[in-house]
Amino acid sequence: MPNTPVNEYLNKTSLGPNQPPDTPPPHPPVTPPQPPAAPPQPPDMAPGDDPKKRVLDTISQLGQTNVPQLDSNIYCLSIIGQVEGHIQLPPQNKTTKYEHIIPQLVAAEQNAKVEGILCILNTVGGDVEAGLAIAEMIASLSKPVVTLVLGGGHSIGVPIAVAGNYSFIAETATMTIHPIRLTGLVIGVPQTFEYLDKMQDRVVSFVARNSKISEQQFRDLMMATGQLTRDIGTNVIGSDAVKYGLIDEVGGLGNALKKLNELIEKKRAEQQVIQQ
Amino acid sequence: MIIHSVVPLELVFENYEQNGRQNIRELTFPGGVTMLVEETGSFEGTIVRLISPNPQDYLNPRLAPGQKIRFRPDFS
Repeated sequence: MPNTPVNEYLNKTSLGPNQPPDTPPPHPPVTPPQPPAAPPQPPDMAPGDDPKKRVLDTISQLGQTNVPQLDSNIYCLSIIGQVEGHIQLPPQNKTTKYEHIIPQLVAAEQNAKVEGILCILNTVGGDVEAGLAIAEMIASLSKPVVTLVLGGGHSIGVPIAVAGNYSFIAETATMTIHPIRLTGLVIGVPQTFEYLDKMQDRVVSFVARNSKISEQQFRDLMMATGQLTRDIGTNVIGSDAVKYGLIDEVGGLGNALKKLNELIEKKRAEQQVIQQ
Repeated sequence: MIIHSVVPLELVFENYEQNGRQNIRELTFPGGVTMLVEETGSFEGTIVRLISPNPQDYLNPRLAPGQKIRFRPDFS
């Protein structure tokens, strides 16, 4: 029995007379995990032959890259494709998921480094509830928000486009304003006219509250005939959106960032006054 | 749920049964960058789309769509 390999091993490692009795107990639980993790890195970094590979290693080992980053004081929120809400859409749809957007907005509101939010839209519409939720979140942010419609800001993209403090639309961008009920689908809820009408009222009143267009004019655009092939409604292009008061100005990225920086400066000045 | 969109519903819900059959995973790295990664093997894949509100992340060539990455689950 005393000559079995297991006993030999035990004797050598912990119970053996060769080793000092003090060192093993304090060390194993705390320090050993660190030395093996830290020393391999400096030798890896030092040769520096393939920086790409090194970054791949850091991504896989630590889950983060050590890229020196410029800190941006602007949060860029892009709303593209379909706004996805409660039902996951099939894979051919490119979607913006509200579970991505909403925590981002919360983080942007809370993070002191973020001074302004730029919201870029190129959306075909989507879930009414998710769209309105995003629009309400944007409208209630205390930091300046500038929205920019590029390409299209259709259907439920309209309330999101007007939710910011100031809105821009590219000259060639379009916004389709049309009623919910004609292309609407209600799953698990009796599809009554009143229900959809109420749903539509939420969108109309939000847009009227957050832009210069009147509720009546927005309804008129929504119910116009002879404009769309498959639906009633209006397709509003660039300068027309400004003319109706839906959007504040025609412009691109440069204008939008300039305006956002102006709003940030204004906000800073206000805060300084409060502090003094 | 109501879809209010200019895309016809039959197009939106086409291939509904394909949901979840793709090899695309959503990964978040501790830096806050979320990306859609198409798995090409065990714990490696190609970045399909970057989801980050920090515009500087998009300037990082290592996070560009098409780049190959390796990842490892971290339960710590």
